[in-house]
Amino acid sequence: MRISLVWKQYDVLVVGSGGAGSNAAETASEMGASVLVVTKDPLSASDTKISEGIATVRASGSEDDTEDTLSENLLLAGGDLPDANITSAFARDSQMAYDKVRANGLRPKISAITKNPDPLPLPMGGHTKRRSIGHKNSGVAFGHANWNSIVKDTKIDYKEDCWLVDIITGNNKDDTKSIVGALIYDAQRGELLAVVCASIVVASGGLSTIYFPKTDTMRGNTGDSYAIAARAGAELVDMEQIQFLPFCLTSPPAFEGLLGGEPVTASYLGVLRDKNKKVILDGVYLRTRAECSAAIMKAVEDGRGTKNGGAYLDMTANKKAPKSGVYFMNFLKGSLPSAYNNVRQAMSKSEAQCEDLWEVRPSAHYMMGGIRVDENCRSIGGSEGLKNNGILGLFAAGQAMGGLFGANRLGSTSLTEGAVFGQRAGKNAAHHARNISGMNPLNKKLFMEKAKKVNSLIGQKGHLHASRIKLSVQKKCWENLGPIRDEVRLNKTKLFISKTRKKLKNVKISNSTKWNQGLIEYLELENMIDTAELMAIAALERNGSLGGHVRADCPNISLFSKPYSTIVRFVNNGVNVARLPRQQTEFKKLIKFKFEEQKKFLGAKILRLMPMILKDRVLEKRYKKIMNIQKPSITVQPGSVEAAFGDRKIL
Amino acid sequence: MTKKETRDRQYLNVTIVTHSEGKDMPVNFKYKKRHDREKPMALDVLLQAQETKLPDLAFRYGCRARNCGVCTIDINGLPRIACRSVVRENDKLKAMSTLPVITDLVVRRDQISRQLRGKIYRNSGGNDLNVDASEDYHELTSCIECYACLHNCPMHQKNSIDQSESNESYEYGNPFSLLKLQTIVMDPVSSNSQKNDAITQAVNLGLDTCLNCPGCKCGIGIDLKGKVVDPLITASKKIADEQF
Ligand SMILES: Cc1cc2nc3c(=O)[nH]c(=O)nc-3n(C[C@H](O)[C@H](O)[C@H](O)COP(=O)(O)OP(=O)(O)OC[C@H]3O[C@@H](n4cnc5c(N)ncnc54)[C@H](O)[C@@H]3O)c2cc1C
Ligand code: SF4
Ligand code: SF4
Ligand code: FES
Repeated sequence: MRISLVWKQYDVLVVGSGGAGSNAAETASEMGASVLVVTKDPLSASDTKISEGIATVRASGSEDDTEDTLSENLLLAGGDLPDANITSAFARDSQMAYDKVRANGLRPKISAITKNPDPLPLPMGGHTKRRSIGHKNSGVAFGHANWNSIVKDTKIDYKEDCWLVDIITGNNKDDTKSIVGALIYDAQRGELLAVVCASIVVASGGLSTIYFPKTDTMRGNTGDSYAIAARAGAELVDMEQIQFLPFCLTSPPAFEGLLGGEPVTASYLGVLRDKNKKVILDGVYLRTRAECSAAIMKAVEDGRGTKNGGAYLDMTANKKAPKSGVYFMNFLKGSLPSAYNNVRQAMSKSEAQCEDLWEVRPSAHYMMGGIRVDENCRSIGGSEGLKNNGILGLFAAGQAMGGLFGANRLGSTSLTEGAVFGQRAGKNAAHHARNISGMNPLNKKLFMEKAKKVNSLIGQKGHLHASRIKLSVQKKCWENLGPIRDEVRLNKTKLFISKTRKKLKNVKISNSTKWNQGLIEYLELENMIDTAELMAIAALERNGSLGGHVRADCPNISLFSKPYSTIVRFVNNGVNVARLPRQQTEFKKLIKFKFEEQKKFLGAKILRLMPMILKDRVLEKRYKKIMNIQKPSITVQPGSVEAAFGDRKIL
Repeated sequence: MTKKETRDRQYLNVTIVTHSEGKDMPVNFKYKKRHDREKPMALDVLLQAQETKLPDLAFRYGCRARNCGVCTIDINGLPRIACRSVVRENDKLKAMSTLPVITDLVVRRDQISRQLRGKIYRNSGGNDLNVDASEDYHELTSCIECYACLHNCPMHQKNSIDQSESNESYEYGNPFSLLKLQTIVMDPVSSNSQKNDAITQAVNLGLDTCLNCPGCKCGIGIDLKGKVVDPLITASKKIADEQF
């Protein structure tokens, strides 16, 4: 054995120190549990820290924003795939959870009138109420609060530069599994940690790095949450549902993949064009992200893509309008300051001024599926009415969990997701650990076996390098498992994965124990492969386009058809896939939702076809209205898609 | 143009100082530009080096957008945020000199946060949260924790920056730790005793060193002298006066 094995014992192990992890750790510790937090990045460096920092807090904009309203918004946006118990829990806890983050130093602007935090002037896309609160310094402000919540408490132990390698489970008498502990590679000290614990909270984020550099997220999102939980026997839900942001930058390399704009910032007259400048999508500001991404990728597929495999976002008409053009530029700069900052640095002056077209391409942003849990973040499994075969003592929160968003995630909901479910997971993990003490000495063997496997990798001979194989996986995932899919490509992905798996034994890994980058790359590569396989199989099962999953070879799945989620899990030598029926929203509400959607597209079309003078006048009024809005609160009809600002006027 | 000139325009020569088992090893690396006018960032160079010549090169990065604060390295001896620092011909990329190196460009960071363990935001619940924070508070919380400010800080230099495992938390402070403490002083939600506590912590970390120091420099432009160090010195003097 080359890396020494160090034993540790805690009640609760929390993996990750983003929003979900730090909230879980703080809450579990407050409940009296002994807690260890491990993170592969430095403390609190995470998607949470680099986010735009906009968070959903129910009833922050108007008192009539009930729990049902918020929960319903999530369900409708998610195509009825979300678990209604989970959306209800989100709606119930959002205020309380947000205040807990505030107690650690998050300071929103306080309204002089309501004496409460002030949400943005208009509801964000898909929200029917104003309830999205922005923060100075964006996600960095959340980063500080999360850092504080862990550092302030001497009862919480934490270790940076630690990679969770595998979760270790034992078998119960009734054939179910329980958490025994976890094996962790401590790169900083060059040790393997054998953490014996009754509860584990997986809060280790998403998988977008499998599409690098076509992503705007942190490097560490290599699917660790999903792969590690699945290897331990957990079920995953909705793994085909990944959110791509359509308008991201294509060059230069330092900016590739970063956010440039959103459908809403394309504003009233923005359109998408192919390389021949032909319009491929209009009414962009009303479209969903998935629609925009699909339009771009279709053009690329037909050979009409731009140099860097994207399309052109044309906002010149907005800019050219004599009166409203000025407002448009202010609107663009003000609505997504950090995205516009990327554009300003990466593009030419005329492009940044919207006098020229922007070359854009989708980027992976968020995994809407994840570890299957109930509203208390407990791992669950099996069909309705049958025995629950989830893993006892396994909890998931934040991007790692599934069931809150289904097919589509509304803006500003993830930071709140981290707080709400981080706290729930922490509480329930502490509670679970309370009733369990010590370790069965027989389990020691399980740790030793896993440790032996890792140790056999140290000094492995070979001619391949994991960092390079990673690049090939990223390329293939983009091509075949990306924003547009079909059966042939998905099967190609499966084949590619099984071929890549065979290469692992020829990966060269050095002898060093401290920060062995080759070993780190290897462990992450393995997680990327496992995750991609599970995704490909879920994506084959859903043979129709829905939300973040676009199938070029099948029709759209209608809002009115019976909704189901996909479930995947590893079984001996393969992957098991199943469908989990979901509750459908009342027909009445669905029809209203569809109707509102259609009405808006018609409105956008009428506007576009108006003569310039008229159009300019209408637009000037609209911009004035949305940009000067103070009080009272504005609401729009249920079912608005992407940020439905101002369209009250024309309808 | 001669062949050599064309080639020179396509490449950029840099030195990457790798590190393993306590020893530095400089490696010359030719960065291949994507086009003549490309001005690559240090992170672009490291990523290409890992893709080509040095597959196991160790370095930290996260967001590629100057938000996460983990990619700081020394370029020609000065701390720079790698994802947003342009590299020039013959530049030398090396691990930060102010913290112990683990492997290649990766330094150990957590002795800094541990020096504040249990010393911030205790008992902050229960206070009225609905009060506006000042612009200064928000300036301080724009800190991305890149540790560029450790460079040339006489207080931080009093620590023994070694690799010993027992050195879990540094005795003496640094501009970042002072910033975290001053954040509590600036926080409108903090009680007076919490504020006094924070000021006392600053003194315990060696605030007196700042008296003879020209001041610190922040990697992203926070006014550390004006908004952190000077106010802490003034406040600590006041507390001292009150005690005598
Ligand atoms: C650019 C950008 C802007 C965004 N803007 C918003 C917004 O305005 N509003 C909003 O609501 N959402 C936004 N989001 C989404 C939101 O930020 C994330 O979904 C959310 O922060 C995820 O939180 P988390 O705690 O689940 O994971 P993260 O915050 O990503 O934390 C993951 C943690 O797990 C650790 N980790 C990972 N793997 C391992 C392992 N194997 N071992 C140990 N540790 C590990 C990491 O080091 C990290 O600490 C944005 C995302 C991005 C990328
Ligand atoms: S104060 Fe400035 S230099 Fe120091 S860590 Fe914060 S951002 Fe970096
Ligand atoms: S003023 Fe104080 S904290 Fe700043 S560099 Fe000098 S000694 Fe360090
Ligand atoms: S990679 Fe995040 S700051 Fe450089």
